[in-house]
Amino acid sequence: MRVLIVEDDPLIADAVRQALLKSGFAADIVTSAEAAASALQAESFDLAVVDIGLPREDGLHLVRRLRAGGKSTPILMLTARDGLSDRVNALDLGADDYMTKPFEVAELVARCRALIRRANSAANNQLSFGGLQLDMTHHALSIGSRPVELTQREWSILECLVLNAGRIVSKDRLMSSVTDWTEELTPNAIEVYVSRLRGKLGDAARIRAVRGMGYRIDEKNK
Amino acid sequence: MRKTNERGPSIRRRLFTLLLVPAALVLAAGTLTDYLASRSPLRDAYDQALIDAAIAIAAYVEPDARGNATLTLSPHAIALLRSDSSDSIYFQVSGANGRYVAGDAGLPQLHQTVSNPARGDAHYGGERIRMVAYRAMTTAGPIIVTVAETMHKRDNTLNRILSSALLVDAAQLSLVLLLIWLGVRLAMVPLHQVEKQIGSRSPRDLAALPTAEVPVEILSLVKTINRLFNVLRDTGSAQRRFLESAAHQLRTPLTGVQAQLELLAAEATEPNQERLERVLDATRRLAHTTHQLLTLARSDEAANLNWDFTSLDLAQLVESIVTQRLATADLAGIDLGAQIEPARVRGVAWLLEEALGNLVNNAIAHTPGGGSVTVQCGSEHGAAFLEVIDTGVGIPPAERQHVQERFFRASNARGNGTGLGLAIVNEVAQLHGAGLSIDAGPNERGTAIRLTFPPEAGTSV
Repeated sequence: MRVLIVEDDPLIADAVRQALLKSGFAADIVTSAEAAASALQAESFDLAVVDIGLPREDGLHLVRRLRAGGKSTPILMLTARDGLSDRVNALDLGADDYMTKPFEVAELVARCRALIRRANSAANNQLSFGGLQLDMTHHALSIGSRPVELTQREWSILECLVLNAGRIVSKDRLMSSVTDWTEELTPNAIEVYVSRLRGKLGDAARIRAVRGMGYRIDEKNK
Repeated sequence: MRKTNERGPSIRRRLFTLLLVPAALVLAAGTLTDYLASRSPLRDAYDQALIDAAIAIAAYVEPDARGNATLTLSPHAIALLRSDSSDSIYFQVSGANGRYVAGDAGLPQLHQTVSNPARGDAHYGGERIRMVAYRAMTTAGPIIVTVAETMHKRDNTLNRILSSALLVDAAQLSLVLLLIWLGVRLAMVPLHQVEKQIGSRSPRDLAALPTAEVPVEILSLVKTINRLFNVLRDTGSAQRRFLESAAHQLRTPLTGVQAQLELLAAEATEPNQERLERVLDATRRLAHTTHQLLTLARSDEAANLNWDFTSLDLAQLVESIVTQRLATADLAGIDLGAQIEPARVRGVAWLLEEALGNLVNNAIAHTPGGGSVTVQCGSEHGAAFLEVIDTGVGIPPAERQHVQERFFRASNARGNGTGLGLAIVNEVAQLHGAGLSIDAGPNERGTAIRLTFPPEAGTSV
């Protein structure tokens, strides 16, 4: 796993690189958008961490240029500005995630890992989350090397939760993922499916309820 | 603005006064002239009737047997002469030497003048009378015939003339008044349009006023206002640029220091690890305070003259904040949840996010483990609201109004907050025209802080 860090502040760039190295990534630093563009052209990276506030060409501009040129490398943006417009801009332009400075290094590493995982799952239809391995093509779940039997509805709920990992998924959304137009399902039924699913997942991942909002899947060690 | 206008000088009132007073004076002078001008022909006409009577009487003066002048008019004719519907008629015939010949003996005599007949006014029988004296040469020698009448019909006629003139002039005056009023109103229409245009603008709208339809008289005023708008716009943008730059300058080194400390603390061994953790903690607080101060400065009205207010979904906002704060709540052993009803407001997204984030942070910080924090949104009586309810220590009622002040911390506040959170919430509320209320939570426990927004249509910007 190789990450390109595009950051002109040496202290931040170094800290991010050290943290990624410690977590088993390889990481290179460039300090300008121009250098980032040529590095991404010349070599293969699994992820780019891009600061918005770069000298000359800024990070937003770089993202737009990369996406326009067909580069699909996942991008995590960093910014020192608050203001939602930056975030909306960043995500609109094709960035995959966004963090505001100052950030916790541990969280940055976790987000990098999630972005790389999502990109890989899209590429080979295999998705791993915590102790779970999901085969998206065959709708098959295994924990470690042990296959786990799931009903169609349990699979739909798990798939919906894992694809939205880190976000809270409302009951309505889960309901629409398990039913077609002809079926009627009560919110209570979702609770029943979730509780069965929890039993089958055991310690490999945790589905937590958020009062008034829905469910979120967490890696167990979190 | 409108209120002070009512009391202050008014161009419309000034125009009214300047046009109406002279117009009224001119009309009044006209009435007076009419009256005076109609008086003398009237008097002459009535005098002529008296003169005719005097001449007629003189024709009946003849000498008697002794040669003395005597009036030969029959009593019947005299009665006819005296008959008048409204006035008493008097006459006297006297000889040239003043000797009484006939008629009303006590009638005053006019001073002789060159003109013949002579005319004059006098008093007789307790009334004003008009007299003519006619000198004639008769067969009985020179005589003077004096005929007089009371003034009733003259006065009546004059009064009638005067009152009809007054009536006509009053009608004219009213017409002129109406025309002036209409004219002034029509003339003021362009001024009112400019006034309305300025008055109906949002205080945040600093776009230049259109000058195409503005009358030349106030064109320079409108242009000056536009220049002022321009200056305000520039000032607002400059302040924003400064704050954005300050944010960048402050956060970048803080981020580097905090990230490096985090790595060092993770690698270090005792006793350095504990010290590094403490330094890291202080750095985090410093970063937090910096963030809060920057937010406070940027939520200030002056820095927000050009912010784009957009229609926002409060449900999304609540979901975003709850998702972000879930980990913190978990660490503190607090059940963080939401109660979401659909609601939209016009607002600045990141500011509302800061405000709600601060409310949730406060609630989590001041609620002991095992408690709950609930974020609500919805609408009540057409007004959207955001509310954060906790089961924590609560804010003493006496301190509730002070907690919105910068750096104020309630006497029972826990942890080491900056005291800026609610000040930010307050600024953001004001910028959005929202009401901020601080109450106890359900069952008089904990705290419930609510932002009530004005109805969306009313905040159109």
